[in-house]
Amino acid sequence: MIRLQNIEKVYRTDTIETLALNSVSLDIAKGEFLSIMGPSGCGKSTLLNIMGLLDAPSKGEIRIDDQKTGGMNDKQLAQFRNKKLGFIFQSYHLINDLQVLDNVELPLLYRDTTAKQRRELAAEALEKVGLANRLKHFPTQLSGGQRQRVAIARAIVGRPEIILADEPTGNLDSAMGNEIMEILLSLNRNDGTTIVMVTHDENMAHKTHRLVRLFDGAQVQ
Amino acid sequence: MFKHLFKLIWNKKKQNFLLITEMLVSFLVLFAVFTLLMFYYNNYKKPMGFDYQDVWVINYNNSYQTKNVDSLDLYYETLRKTIKSLPQVKEITFVSGNIPFSSRTNQSGLTFKGKHIDHLNNFTVEDYYKNVMNVTLLEGRWFNKQDVVSKNQSIIIDSDLKEATFGNEPAVGKLLGNDDDKNKFKVVGVIQTIKRNGDYLKAGPGMYFRTDTGSFRWLDKILVKVTPGADAAFEGKLYKTMANYMKNANVEIEHLANKRTDANYFALVPMIILAIVSTFLVINVALGLFGVLWYNINKRRSEIGLRRAIGATGGSVSAQLVSESMILATLALIVGTFFAIQFPLLNVFDLPAIVYIEGILLSVLFVYLLVLVCSLYPGKQAAAIYPAVALHEE
Amino acid sequence: MLKNYFKIAIAVLKRRKFFTFISLFGISFTLTILMVLTAFINKVIGDNYPDKKRDRSLYINRIQESGDNNMMSSTLSYYFLSHYTGMMKTPAKVAISSMFKGTNTYVNNKKIAVNFKYTNAEYWDVLDYDFTEGKPFNKQQVTNADRVAIISEDMKRQYFGDVTTVVGKYIEADNVDYRVIGVVKNVPVTNYMLYSDIYLPYTVSKEDYKSKGYLGAYMAILLGNSPGDIPKMQAEYESIISRVPVERKEFKHVYSHANTFFRSYVDTGNEKQSGVFIVVTAISIFVFIFTLLPTLNLVNINITRIMERSSEIGVRKAFGASSKTLVYQFLVENLILTMLGGVIGTVLSIFALYAINNANLIDNLELSINFTVLFIGLLVCLVFGLLSGVYPAWRMSKLNVVTALKA
Repeated sequence: MIRLQNIEKVYRTDTIETLALNSVSLDIAKGEFLSIMGPSGCGKSTLLNIMGLLDAPSKGEIRIDDQKTGGMNDKQLAQFRNKKLGFIFQSYHLINDLQVLDNVELPLLYRDTTAKQRRELAAEALEKVGLANRLKHFPTQLSGGQRQRVAIARAIVGRPEIILADEPTGNLDSAMGNEIMEILLSLNRNDGTTIVMVTHDENMAHKTHRLVRLFDGAQVQ
Repeated sequence: MFKHLFKLIWNKKKQNFLLITEMLVSFLVLFAVFTLLMFYYNNYKKPMGFDYQDVWVINYNNSYQTKNVDSLDLYYETLRKTIKSLPQVKEITFVSGNIPFSSRTNQSGLTFKGKHIDHLNNFTVEDYYKNVMNVTLLEGRWFNKQDVVSKNQSIIIDSDLKEATFGNEPAVGKLLGNDDDKNKFKVVGVIQTIKRNGDYLKAGPGMYFRTDTGSFRWLDKILVKVTPGADAAFEGKLYKTMANYMKNANVEIEHLANKRTDANYFALVPMIILAIVSTFLVINVALGLFGVLWYNINKRRSEIGLRRAIGATGGSVSAQLVSESMILATLALIVGTFFAIQFPLLNVFDLPAIVYIEGILLSVLFVYLLVLVCSLYPGKQAAAIYPAVALHEE
Repeated sequence: MLKNYFKIAIAVLKRRKFFTFISLFGISFTLTILMVLTAFINKVIGDNYPDKKRDRSLYINRIQESGDNNMMSSTLSYYFLSHYTGMMKTPAKVAISSMFKGTNTYVNNKKIAVNFKYTNAEYWDVLDYDFTEGKPFNKQQVTNADRVAIISEDMKRQYFGDVTTVVGKYIEADNVDYRVIGVVKNVPVTNYMLYSDIYLPYTVSKEDYKSKGYLGAYMAILLGNSPGDIPKMQAEYESIISRVPVERKEFKHVYSHANTFFRSYVDTGNEKQSGVFIVVTAISIFVFIFTLLPTLNLVNINITRIMERSSEIGVRKAFGASSKTLVYQFLVENLILTMLGGVIGTVLSIFALYAINNANLIDNLELSINFTVLFIGLLVCLVFGLLSGVYPAWRMSKLNVVTALKA
C-alpha cells in the first residue's frame, strides 16, 4: 500500500544541515496497522509527514497505492490527500469556531458533494466514534477524548484507505487513550483501513501488527 | 462552501463586529466624498452657457440719483456712449448685481402647476446682454423692442427652469407664473443655463427680465466685452473714464475670468482638503485591515495547515480567506447602503438622486477594492504556509 | 511597577514593528489633522491681533428689521451707530468702521486691487494695530475730513515697492489721492470685521454718512472699562434697541445685538438661525467622524495585539495579577503609544502648518502651533489612548487563564 524507498530528508538552515531521515525504506501492506516509535527528534513526525505527502523527501521515492507521488503538483497532491489519506494529530487541530458537525464535514468540502450528502456522511462518521449526540457542540465544550474522537470522525468521513495518526493518545489519560485505540483498532479490523501511528506509548504500540523503531533518522528495528 | 464561510464568520461574530463597523464607517466617509465628487463632476460636464473670456465687470455704487426718469436715462445712456466709444470696447450692457461668479443673489420661489421651485434666480438684463455674454439660445429669441408693449411681461428662462416647469415640451409662447397669479409671464426664449457659481457648483434655475424705465436707479454693474488684447493700461483708462464721470461713486473693475478662477478655488479647496484627509483615512484603514487580516492568518495557521492536509490546495485556502473578508465587506456595505439610500429618498441637501446613486456605487466599489487589496497578500501568505510545519507547532 | 510597565511597553512596540507603525501612523496623522484644524480655528477666532482687548469688547455688526413675511438684514448706518451708541453710558470708547470694500488703482500700467475701510478716530484707540511707521489719524483730522490714509504693509509693498518709508507720500485709491500717515501690520481677511488694505477717515467717504436710514455699511465695537462691563453694556444696548422705532410700517421688529467676538463672527445674518449652533455642530460632526475611524482602527489593532499576548496575560494571571492591574498595565502601555504618536503628530503638524503657510491659501494667514494648540493636541492624545485602550483592556481582563495559557 505504502512503499518508501531510501528516503532521506535534510533540513538546511544558513549554518547547519540536519539529517532528519537517513535512508529509510519501509513497505506497508494494505490493511496493516503499523506503529512507529522512537525518542523525540528521531524523525518520526518527518516520516509521517512524508507519508502524508505534507512534506517531500530530499531523496528517495514514495509510492502510495502503486502511484508515484514524486511528480505531482500542488493540486494533484491536495486531491490525493483528500481521497486517500486521513489525518489524526496529537493536538486534534479542530477549528474552534465551527461546530462538531461542520468540523467533520470539512474534508468533504474539498470534493464534489451536496450539503445533504456531507451532513449524512458526517453524522454517520460521528456515530461510529460514539458522538452522535454532540453534533451541535463547539470543540471547546468537549473533553480531550471527545475532541480526538471528533478528529477521528473527520479523518474517516471521506473513507480514506490510509489513516496517519501522529501520537493520537499523547494528550490523553490512559482510559481515554485506550478508548481512542479501540476505535482505531476496530477501524483497522472492520473496514480494512491501513493505519500508520506514531506513538510514545509501548502499550499502544504492542497492540498493533508491527512496530518500527527509529533512532537518529534511521530504522533500527 | 459559501455556507461554510458564513458559519465561520457568524461563529466569530464578536471579533468580526469591529471589523465590520470599521468598514461601515469607511464606507460612509467614502460615500460623502464620492457624492461630493460626482456632484462636482456632473456639474463640470455641463456647458458653461456663456463666454467669460474678455468680459470685464464695472462695479459702481452711490451713483447719480434723480426722480426724473428722463434725466436718469440720459445720464446712463451718455455713460454707455462714452464707454462704447473707447477703442477696445466691443459691447457693454448694464445688468443687475447678481452677475456670474459673484456672491450676490436675488432669488424668489415659484409654484407652477402645483410644483414648488425654490432658489429661483431673478436676473434683470438688457437687449445687449446676449452679445456681451454670448449666451446660447436654445429656443425662441432674445429680448427686443417689441417686448415693451406685450400684455404679459416677456421673460426668458434657462434650461434648468424649463426642465422643471415644461419638461421636454417647448416653452416658447407659454405662460409662466405662480398658480394663483393673474398676470403671468410669457416665455419668449430659452437659453442654456449659465453656470453662475463656477464650473463645479450647481447654477440653479433662473429667469431673465428685461430692463424697464427706472431700472437704472438700482442697477449697479456694467458688463464690458473688450477686444482680446485689452491690457492694464487700457483698464486704467476705462477706470478713469468711469471715475471721472461718476464723481461720487466708488468704482471697481474685475475680470470675469479671474472671478471664475476665484469661484472655482473656493469650490475646490474644501474638496481638496476633504480628499487629502480621506486619503489619509483610507490609508489608515487599509493598514489597519491589512494588519488585522494578517494577524488572523497567523492565528489560524493550524486551521490552514489542517485544511491543506485534508485536501485543500494553496489556491483554495487563499481564496477562502479573501472570500471571508469580502463577505465581511458585503455585510458592512449592506448596512451602509441602507443608511446612504436614505439621502436620495428623503432628499437631504437637495442634490439630484443620481448623484447619490453614483456616490453609493463608487464607494461600494472602492470598499470592495480596498478589502480585496488588503486581503490578497495575507491570503497569498496563507497559501504559502507549510502544512507539515503548521500542524506540528504548538 | 510603572517602570516595569514602561519596559514591557517598549519591548512590545519593538517586537511588532508593523503594528506599532500602523498605530503610530493612525494616531499621528489624526492628531495632525486636528492640530491643523485647531490652529486654523484658533487663528481665525482666537488670534487677537489687532483687537487685543477682546475680553472687554462687544461687537455690533448687524441690524435686522422684520415683519410677518419680510425681513431686511444688513450692516448698520454710521448715523444709527453713532447716535444710539452715543446715548450709552457704560462704554469707554466706541469704534465705528465700515465693512471693507474693493476698488482698483493703477501704478505703472499695473493693476492693484485695493480694499478700503472707513473708520472713526476712536477706532485706533479701541484696537491695537501695530504701526511699523507713522501714527493713526486723530479726531481733528477726521473732523476736517483730511485726505489721510493708513495702509497695510502688504499695500505698501505692492504700491510703493521696496522702500523704507512711505509716510508723507501719496497713494491713489478710488480716483482720489490720500496722504499716507501710517503703516500697520497685515490683518488676515478671515478677520473680516477688521481687515483692510487702506483705512480712511469716515468723513472722506463719498457716501452720505449723515443719512438717517438704519441700514448702511458700518459696524461698531463697544469697549468697556473692564471685562465686568460686558453684561452691563449688553443690557444697555438691548434696552436702547427695544425703544428704537421701526423705519417703515411693514416691519414690526428691530433687532440688533452687541455680541462677543465669536458670536458676532459667526452671525448668519438671520435672527432665526444661530451661527454659533451651526458652526459648533458642523465642526463637531467633522471631528467626530474623523476621529471615529482611526479610533475604531486602533481598537481593532489593540485587540489583535492583546490576543497575541494571551499567554503573557495567562502567566500574569496565574501568578496572581488581578484583572484590574492588567487593565491598568495595558492602559499605561497604550498611553505610552499614543503619547509617542502625539510627539510624531506634533512634528508632522509643524511641517503641515509650514506647508500650508507656504502655499499661502489665504493672504496674511500665518498659522502657528501655540500652547493652546499643543494643549488640545495632548488632550486629544489622552482621550485617544483611553478610548482605544479601554475596550481591548476590558476584553483582555475577561480572558480565562486556562484558555489564555493554551492558545
